[in-house]
Amino acid sequence: MAFELKLETFDGPLHVLLELIQGEELPITEVSLGSVTQKYLEYMNTHDVPPEELADFLVVATKLLLLKSQAILPIEAEPEEDPSTLALQLRLYKEFVDASRTLEERFDSTNWSFERATPDVVRLEIGEVVTNLCAEDLREAFSGLLKRLEPFFKLQTAALERVVSVGERLQEIHEAILSRTKMTFRQIASSGKSKVDVVISFLALLELVKQRVVHVVQSGVFDEIEIKRVD
Amino acid sequence: MLTTTIEAVLFAAAKPIKLSDLRKHLDLSEEVVREAIDDITRRFNTEGSGIHLMEQNGAVQFVSNASVGEDVAKFLRVEASGPLTRPSLETLTIIVYRGPITKPEIEMIRGVNCSLILRNLLIRGFILEEQDKERLQPVYRVSHEFLQAIGVNRLDVLPDYEAFRTNEKIAELLSREPESDV
Repeated sequence: MAFELKLETFDGPLHVLLELIQGEELPITEVSLGSVTQKYLEYMNTHDVPPEELADFLVVATKLLLLKSQAILPIEAEPEEDPSTLALQLRLYKEFVDASRTLEERFDSTNWSFERATPDVVRLEIGEVVTNLCAEDLREAFSGLLKRLEPFFKLQTAALERVVSVGERLQEIHEAILSRTKMTFRQIASSGKSKVDVVISFLALLELVKQRVVHVVQSGVFDEIEIKRVD
Repeated sequence: MLTTTIEAVLFAAAKPIKLSDLRKHLDLSEEVVREAIDDITRRFNTEGSGIHLMEQNGAVQFVSNASVGEDVAKFLRVEASGPLTRPSLETLTIIVYRGPITKPEIEMIRGVNCSLILRNLLIRGFILEEQDKERLQPVYRVSHEFLQAIGVNRLDVLPDYEAFRTNEKIAELLSREPESDV
């Protein structure tokens, strides 16, 4: 690929010739073409002409040599292969090169026009159409869906219960202690269904202590916690 | 009414539409289509119009006004395409001024094999390749995309366009047989 890139940027034989002539500030005539023959051949020696273009370079080289030999030797040129066409060809080529400057300026400027963008058409895939459905199928599908949602609902109810319980438990204990003068924490905790329940009861108790509604006494580690009403 | 229809079709189609297709589908004569296109061109291709009609290769297309190309490009976040190498630029110039043109003719002017350059220009979408039934070989023209890139609505607004097309010397050079007799 690197080689191809190089090929595309390699100046053609006519371009080389044009630059040589213009470098010498010569008009494009057979005589001046003959005079740059040596330089042209030098260019071919010092540059790696891509093999694909070598033939074209050699064609120009032979034409140049013919021109030069005619300038030196007073032999009548054969009219059928008129070498002066090289000068004509170069002159015409130069006109296109000059015109390409305008084109390059336009290409490099930001004066672009744009066509209307057409949206990409999205082809809708037609899904599988199920026939022969009965009520039982729908029920199964729906209960399957509910089953998938179960873990989610479980989490939600657990979270709600806990939040509600702390306040409620506090109320319960408060009411319980109002109806009697004394009770133990074990009595409260025994009604609990889970570890979380016991923790919540304890939190509620601590809150009541803080509010100075109750007064607690524990005589030793792991002994009964006695709860008394503060009057 | 007719002009309205054609105008509507061109707007809705967005892509280049061949005049011959308009003629066929709307069942119109060549002159009527030409008149309608000229009328649309007159009304749209003015300095103050944001939309211009582009015509190339016998096909017309609505495009944005090139004089505000920079702002449109910024809005659409379009960046300049890569620069053209000198050989590609030369080849494009020849196709612009002398298209439709065959590969041997291009090579006659440039004096060198152009296969690779033509292939690359085709890939970049700047030129189109079509089979010429009379000449029995492909001919090349520049595409609407290239006109959009250089911001002209038609090629004949380019400097010296007519001079290049009617140049007898070029015609003479191109009519010569390739170097097969050497």
